[in-house]
Amino acid sequence: MPRIISPAVFVLIGLILFGQGTYIHAKALLAQVLLERAFTETIATGHPVKPWSWADTWPVARIEVKRLRASTIVLAGSSGQALAFGPGHVEQTVDAGERGVAVYSAHRDTHFRFLKEVAVGDEIDVTTSDGKTFRYRADRSSVVRFDQSGIDPLTDRYELVLSTCWPFDALTSGPERYLLHATLIEPGS
Amino acid sequence: MTICDASETSRRIRLSRKMRILLFFLVEGVAALAIGFAALFLSFDPVWSAEQPKQAVLRPADARSGSLLLKTEDGYADALRLGVDVDLTVSGPTVRARVTQIFRNPTKEWMEATYVYPLPAGSAVDTLKMVVGDRVVVGDIKERQQARAIYEQAKQNGQKAALTEQERPNIFTNSVANIGPGETVLVQIEYQEPVQQNGNAFSLRVPMVVGPRYNPQPVVQSVDLRADGGGWGATTTDPVPDRDRISPPVLDPAENAPINPTNITVHLQAGFPLGEVKSHFHQVKIESPDNATRIIKLAEGAVPADRDFELTWKPAAEKAPSVGLFREHVGNSDYLLTFVTPPSVEQANEKQLPREVIFVIDNSGSMGGTSIIQAKASLLYALGRLQPTDRFNVIRFDDTMDVLFPTPVAANSTNIGNATSFVSALQARGGTEMVPAMRAALSDTNHDDASTIRQVVFLTDGAIGNEQQLFETISALRGRSRIFMVGIGSAPNTYLMTRAAELGRGTFTHIGSVEQVDERMRDLFGKLENPAVTGLSAKFSDATADLTPAAIPDVYRDEPLVLAAKLDKLAGSVEIKGRIGDRPWSVTLPLANAAEGKGLSKLWARRKIADAEVARTTRQASPEDADKTILALALEHQLVTRLTSLVAVDETPSRPDGEPLKLSELPINLPAGWDFAKVFGERPRLPVAPTERRAEAGDVKVRLAALKRPVVTTAPVTVQLPKTATDAELKMIAGVILLTVSLLLMMFNRRQTSPH
Repeated sequence: MPRIISPAVFVLIGLILFGQGTYIHAKALLAQVLLERAFTETIATGHPVKPWSWADTWPVARIEVKRLRASTIVLAGSSGQALAFGPGHVEQTVDAGERGVAVYSAHRDTHFRFLKEVAVGDEIDVTTSDGKTFRYRADRSSVVRFDQSGIDPLTDRYELVLSTCWPFDALTSGPERYLLHATLIEPGS
Repeated sequence: MTICDASETSRRIRLSRKMRILLFFLVEGVAALAIGFAALFLSFDPVWSAEQPKQAVLRPADARSGSLLLKTEDGYADALRLGVDVDLTVSGPTVRARVTQIFRNPTKEWMEATYVYPLPAGSAVDTLKMVVGDRVVVGDIKERQQARAIYEQAKQNGQKAALTEQERPNIFTNSVANIGPGETVLVQIEYQEPVQQNGNAFSLRVPMVVGPRYNPQPVVQSVDLRADGGGWGATTTDPVPDRDRISPPVLDPAENAPINPTNITVHLQAGFPLGEVKSHFHQVKIESPDNATRIIKLAEGAVPADRDFELTWKPAAEKAPSVGLFREHVGNSDYLLTFVTPPSVEQANEKQLPREVIFVIDNSGSMGGTSIIQAKASLLYALGRLQPTDRFNVIRFDDTMDVLFPTPVAANSTNIGNATSFVSALQARGGTEMVPAMRAALSDTNHDDASTIRQVVFLTDGAIGNEQQLFETISALRGRSRIFMVGIGSAPNTYLMTRAAELGRGTFTHIGSVEQVDERMRDLFGKLENPAVTGLSAKFSDATADLTPAAIPDVYRDEPLVLAAKLDKLAGSVEIKGRIGDRPWSVTLPLANAAEGKGLSKLWARRKIADAEVARTTRQASPEDADKTILALALEHQLVTRLTSLVAVDETPSRPDGEPLKLSELPINLPAGWDFAKVFGERPRLPVAPTERRAEAGDVKVRLAALKRPVVTTAPVTVQLPKTATDAELKMIAGVILLTVSLLLMMFNRRQTSPH
């Protein structure tokens, strides 16, 4: 019997771990589908629409990088709960298109996986909840500690920062963050 | 054959084993996916937890550079003592105040004292006098840096010196250098202020204590701290770059007797026969020499400086005068101050537009004690006053924030019920992140909707140090919303309230006790529910006028329109026009009939300076232009501003060479009704008894002077970026490894058992 028990325990633990990993990805994928629907409705109605009835957040913007065919819906707030479903708009930063720096954050292994492919010069489109699209151009990237971002939210320029964990392929999370800086080139239309 | 057969069966066995392994993986994959999707609808512990922003309630002592602090064992008994005497004279529309601070040094050492104190937000400080023995030294107005340099020089030379600096329009610091052992030095400042009028009542406030402010952690790292002189400029990215200057040590009322005894005397000459005169938070004795004059004194003598003094007076007549016109001749110019209260139009005559009201309530730690009770009572009253046609929402904030409904909802009984229980359950704790709450309140989902009026009612004590950030948020996002500030508690930040209301084109209501809730909230709703007087303009028939406020604000029910003007000649008349609801209204005042007033030029200048500060905030003027305007006005009219200070130096040196000088930052009381533990955390850490820095003789003194103010920026500073990695990969890899291990184990088991 013990011969059967030990592999059975391993199978069970293995299944749970694998399941949790899959669950994170599945949640990230499925949530984006619901978010896409809610965001379209938000633009159409002009009211924030919750993606599912018990959600504690709602979509506020869409980030698109056409060259990479990447598109993702951003949620209000950057709490851990929100980030599980989509990128978060970091509190106390301005909305896209406003004077200052709009900072969006997401997980490196789900919604911002494409960030490592984004090159300087790429165009990043951000659609806000009023349906306006602002085009930014990536001008540089940097790696910083999470508590020393060097972002000046009161800047006079119109900037965008996309942030995710660094290094991209690490398995554990560390204090470093990868920042992609972009500047507004086309105001809302 | 047999061999062949044997090999074939073994191949078949191998094949079927491969199939089984494949099948095993397939089943596992499907199971994992199924579990994954099932889990999507459950909430596990957040494995993706974000890095929480650190709790940012700053203890005053933390806000300073720690290395210089020296807590004395003997505590307060051996430190400087302070007494305050406030003498106010009300003549018609203006208040002239003389604040005397008595610094007594019972110790055997030479002392330097700094005292942080509040004044009314609209006060124009124009005089500083220092009295040493029988000598009176009168202060001069200088540019801030220059005044500071003069003071430091005098301090090093052993001369007595006093310096008055503005930290906020309602927070000032007095520094006094070289108070000898056993000596007493008097520092006297004087200011001018207009009286407040609301409907039938006139009032004045004397703030007495600066409530401990919540200073948000810097959101941004200061980029450059190289010691090349200009390096300090980089700290402007801190939301509260001067945090150490506005956080004096606070005594825990549970462990210390109240300090800073204050005496108040008011000479009230209203200019009309007086009816009721009332002090709201202090026991007073009132003498009446004649029917238009009162002398008000504290009944029990000096009181601790721990709450605002508020005095209101009403005319004996049924209705207060609705027009006041005062003039003063200074230099080549005439200054004019007018009060006009537009008539109130009964709301029955007016078609009322439906309203969308956003209530914001501050439930941070500084609201603990009686303040949160007042705030909740006020908000519950407000919810009860909503009409069925109105829409509303409720936002509560501390260093976190909740928006009750995702979008404003109809004020039906279910929603009101929900909101009522939400508000009743609120508890005061945590920091005060006001900016995100204001952003949320101003995020207007249907900003083109002209059929409703959008009003934000914001209940707070305003105990924050990053006022400027809040103002910028308001001026950038206000849209069609109007902001009505409700100041709560015994010592609210009136500067924040009045400026926020001005930028938000609303009003400021103050509620200082639970008893005032009903009356003041009823008043506020009178303003919310009745049409404002809009589109106001003033035209002078003959004179050329420099008018302030530059953009005349809308005037709400029972409020007077207050205008100050500088004229080249006092002739002709002024016509004030506007619209009440959709009816035109106008009034013409002949200037020749204006009564003589005092200090009007200072009030005009102070108001012009406020205009320039507003223009700077709203970016209508460049910072350089605004500063230039402010500096010119301040120097011409001798006013203390953000850019100018008053400094007085006694020419006779008093401290002998070689005697050390000790710095004492005078502690303040906690405002009455505040909960010490809620603001500063658990009690055992404190009290912050008088914290003293010791200076040795000679050159060390210079270093102390240099170190004292530009405190090295605290901790690493930044926009906190959330944690953005999941452990999905890690878990999946670990899962696969475990599954493989189990598979190997199973195969190993079978091999051991099967051969038999």
